Amino acid sequence: MAFLEISGVTKHFGSGAGAAVDDFSLSIERGEFVSFLGPSGCGKTTTLRVVAGFEQASAGSVQINGVDVSSIPANRRNVGMVFQAYALFPNMTVAENVGFGLRVAGQSAALMQARVAAMLDLIRLPDYGQRYPHQLSGGQQQRVALARALAVQPQLLLLDEPLSALDAKIRVELRSEIRRIQQELKLTTIYVTHDQEEALSLSDRIVVMNLGRIEQVGTPFEIYNYPRSAFTASFVGHLNLLPVQITDAASGTCTFEGTALASSQPAPNKQAVSARLAIRPEELVLGGAGANRLSGRVVSVNFLGNVVRLRVRVGAVELSVDMFNERKLVLPAVDAQVVLSFPAHACWLMD
Amino acid sequence: MKTRFNPWTWLWVTVATLFFFMPLWGTFDFSLRMKRGAITFLAYEKVFADPKFLQSFRYSATMGLITVIVSIILFVPTTYWIHLKLPRLRPLVELLTLLPFIIPVIVLVFGLIRTFSRPPFRMTQTAFTTDILITAGYVILSMPFMFRAVDVGMRAIDVRTLTEAAQSLGAGWLRVLLSVILPNLRVAILSGSLITFATVVGELILADFLVRPALGPYMVVVGGGKAYEPAALGILSFALTWICLGIIQLVSRGDVRLQPIGR
Repeated sequence: MAFLEISGVTKHFGSGAGAAVDDFSLSIERGEFVSFLGPSGCGKTTTLRVVAGFEQASAGSVQINGVDVSSIPANRRNVGMVFQAYALFPNMTVAENVGFGLRVAGQSAALMQARVAAMLDLIRLPDYGQRYPHQLSGGQQQRVALARALAVQPQLLLLDEPLSALDAKIRVELRSEIRRIQQELKLTTIYVTHDQEEALSLSDRIVVMNLGRIEQVGTPFEIYNYPRSAFTASFVGHLNLLPVQITDAASGTCTFEGTALASSQPAPNKQAVSARLAIRPEELVLGGAGANRLSGRVVSVNFLGNVVRLRVRVGAVELSVDMFNERKLVLPAVDAQVVLSFPAHACWLMD
Repeated sequence: MKTRFNPWTWLWVTVATLFFFMPLWGTFDFSLRMKRGAITFLAYEKVFADPKFLQSFRYSATMGLITVIVSIILFVPTTYWIHLKLPRLRPLVELLTLLPFIIPVIVLVFGLIRTFSRPPFRMTQTAFTTDILITAGYVILSMPFMFRAVDVGMRAIDVRTLTEAAQSLGAGWLRVLLSVILPNLRVAILSGSLITFATVVGELILADFLVRPALGPYMVVVGGGKAYEPAALGILSFALTWICLGIIQLVSRGDVRLQPIGR
């Protein structure tokens, strides 16, 4: 049995309302970093709050380390929590904030002091113990909140969109900090976010959620490269979709406005006549020798630094094409006619 | 935006200032003229020399303190619970707490007397039970101030998330309330308390109709038979209220920790 077992958790808010979380089941191993990824209202935060004990599940159970915690109140679950709004206690210094959990647990002053110092070292703010939260920047406050959650040595760490309130630069910095600390402590962690980049870069596994249900569970690589649903495919990363007529469902061949195209997988629906062919922008190559070739007209060229993003009109659709920057690269002009190619293994058919 | 000198602004400020301060100044000036042809504090000396004044002041101050304590015990946990669990009830509760502004005190006191002076309560028969009744009345009168102050204080801090943060660190309800919520509401509770105190000390109708030796009725009695002492009393009670307001200002300005936290 896995360290954390979430089985069949369902949550209704009030009668008549649809399920905020619908039959959510997941096993998380000790030391694993799992992200819940989805748009707002997909049930990711509600699921997290059920695990934390702030919401009672309408059905289903949560087991931590073999113990069913469904009837244990939040303050006795030994689960650390970090909130989007930091939620530091404004009346206490940084040291008092970090030591709060230890004080509640009745630890000795000496032990508390040592532990608080160790935690402040861990978050790299060793000299900030005597400051008050309002004297810290947002990023520093969130570090302190992390230290406070870790000080009590929780068996599980829950982070609820911890970086959403921060500036882009601090966000990236703190992201790697969270990962470093998590791996240092080998702490089982659930991370809720709507930011695919955060989920992809941090997680051992990602749970993609939509409308209260799990869409897909997998490693970042699997989620990005082998999305099993249209929702996952379009929510994680950019995706080009071509409306195609299926010529052979079993081999996955089709035509787009008269051009024959091949994909490597069979069509998901054997009866369907039409489908959508999905392909990532970075798989499309200008010119190139791929099996599938489409010709079109350049609509726009966006130079983003490391990446150049083209919009190319092919028949009735506009495709995104990403390519890496190189110094010898010759950028195509707007309105230029170009040929795009991609290999069969880079695309797949969806309903 | 730079504001230009506007003569109308100054005219209205002057008119308003005169409107508020002239009667006050007149009263103060009058209270100093007990001795013909001299400015003295004789009226104040007389007031303080009257044992009845001290008695009624002590009574009113005691009732004020008791009312403050009861209000805090009643309103802090209630408001906390509403913020935490029943946010949809907030508008209703807010409306309820405004009732003392809408229903005249005279109606309240007659209601109290009609209900509680007859069996099975018979609460107006002894001084002690009447004091319980009058405290209840005072708590109702101070409800708009106390609830509002605490409510605003709770909205300034994110009560819900702070509570959950404390709970996830192992704290139980009492701990959350005492070490996290209350310290962050200090200013709010203090300002609610001081306004409540000032209201009770200056209250007339409840004490008069329930026949208790409070400051309000005493002032009326003195006002009926004397000239200079009521003016002095009036100034004193104004001063008391202003001291309360001054303390609120002082404390809320000093507490920088309650400034909103940057996000």
